[in-house]
Amino acid sequence: MRGKLIVDTVLRQLIGRSCLITEPVEMNILVCIKQVPDSFETLQINERTGLVGLPLNTAFRMNRFDEFALEEALLMKERLSGALVHALSVGPERVSDTVQRALGMGADHGIHILDSSEGYISPLIVASVIAAFARTRRYDIILTGAMAEDTMACQTGQLVAALLDLPCATSVMKEEIDLDREQIVVEREIEGGSRERMQIKMPAVLTVQPGINHPRYPSFSKVMRARSYAQERIRAQNLTPEEPRESSLGMQIPEPASQGVFIEGSPREKALELITILHEKSLLS
Amino acid sequence: MKDPRVYIIAEQRKGCIAQETYELLAFARLMAKDKKPVFLVPGKNTGELAREISQKTGCDAVALTGSHLERYNLLSYAHALMEILDKEVEAWVCLPHTSMGYDLAPRLAVLLKAACITGVDSVGDGVLSRPVYSGRFREEILPKTPRVVVTVLPGAFRAGEEKPDAAGRVSVVKSAFREVPLQTLGTAEAVHTDSKIKDAEVIVSAGRGIGRKENLSLIKRLANLFPRSAIGASRSVCDLGWLEYKHQIGTTGQTVSPRLYIACGISGAFQHVAGIRGAQTIVAINRDPHAAIFQVAHYCIVEDLETFIPMLLDELSVKVR
Repeated sequence: MRGKLIVDTVLRQLIGRSCLITEPVEMNILVCIKQVPDSFETLQINERTGLVGLPLNTAFRMNRFDEFALEEALLMKERLSGALVHALSVGPERVSDTVQRALGMGADHGIHILDSSEGYISPLIVASVIAAFARTRRYDIILTGAMAEDTMACQTGQLVAALLDLPCATSVMKEEIDLDREQIVVEREIEGGSRERMQIKMPAVLTVQPGINHPRYPSFSKVMRARSYAQERIRAQNLTPEEPRESSLGMQIPEPASQGVFIEGSPREKALELITILHEKSLLS
Repeated sequence: MKDPRVYIIAEQRKGCIAQETYELLAFARLMAKDKKPVFLVPGKNTGELAREISQKTGCDAVALTGSHLERYNLLSYAHALMEILDKEVEAWVCLPHTSMGYDLAPRLAVLLKAACITGVDSVGDGVLSRPVYSGRFREEILPKTPRVVVTVLPGAFRAGEEKPDAAGRVSVVKSAFREVPLQTLGTAEAVHTDSKIKDAEVIVSAGRGIGRKENLSLIKRLANLFPRSAIGASRSVCDLGWLEYKHQIGTTGQTVSPRLYIACGISGAFQHVAGIRGAQTIVAINRDPHAAIFQVAHYCIVEDLETFIPMLLDELSVKVR
């Protein structure tokens, strides 16, 4: 169905413009990606700063929600010949690796907004820097993951949209671009797995829900090619970030199981103890 | 310190006031002890719903009406709410952390030049606390602006049984229509539901922590030892394609209330936990002692699933026979 629509669009373009070469669309898609620690299991709270400490050997990767956003951008690019995918990340030096991975997955252009500030970083600061950068370009669609796995705020995409005064749809599970009408029909996931269908004018911001697609692995040839790509680098300070409107009083480890009991012993003892409990509660026949 | 005015943005679901709206009242009471919050009820014709809220809670309620507000629309809702909110120099605006709340809160915050603090699950002395890193840690946030927008996690506060002396005042404000570059076309019901999960007495659930798809066989064998059992899954397991979405439990999946829920390798993010609050007994198995699932489980087992479940199956098969 989607394929047919595109063919129709192309045909109409051909007839309308009476030229024989398919004119590639001019479309710029910005994908905002975040780098997060690969595993949260080894993270500890730094006593001095009160923040989550990142040990020197911490491995980092792309926020999973953003992988889905990037994949969706690449799928859009495959459907619309001529579209360009720009991958942007804000953060310290190491974030450049995640931008590189995006290039390896197939993004055309990498942007690293260098921000080495430490401590609590308000979503508004990140969003204001992205918005300030986006104002200098012309993006038709801005995509990002619905949430970051580490800070879990669900704000960045929406804030970018609000700062740029663009319409926005969150938790998108399906999108269909209608180039003629310059709009996108999206389905956003709402409570209980229901879907809300919206029609949104471009330029627009979409935050993408996991499950919308299957993110690809970087291909060897693209990784090799991406090695020669220079990333565009801009300092965050030069993009006049907003002043933070809240401060962090630090991180805490949650109270351990308020109602729960930790079953102790060897693995076999734990298994036996659990079976006894299930018996007592008549949960085993 | 003078308490600021607190506004609660009511959410509708299928023509009724969503439960989360009343949960926000409990949150608002902790925020500002001496001031009654004001409910704002956007919708096509919400006068009756506003009355219902005012009677149930004793708080004032303002219906913001207009046919353009019939379905949730980020931009139309934001315009309508700003007509009221922009008059306040100092105010707290509370929304549920739902598909409406997290969609709308950042927009309101930008328009109001307010701090925006999302996914909050507790509050004390004006300090907001929220889970981060899949619930392994908690972050404490202090807003610094006179206007603050907050979203509160569903289920974090209990909607109390209110017995107000008198109903609050109800007013109706007609919202002016404005052309916006966004239209809500309609809603479609969930496609992935499984009555087997809804009816199951025992649910054994798999999270990303099971490590690899092959380990699902352990989960299935464990479930098979219980009569009327079903297999559940966290969102990420379905996104990985290890199980179909009809197995998904949580805010965007199914809500369950079995007699026994066994969470295997599930980190316990609120999206999942919100779907299992009705379970009578929760057993959690996870190798990470700090996994958030242990904050809600009744019985906690810190073990690697690949060694523990075979051992449990071993012992169980002896007992069951």
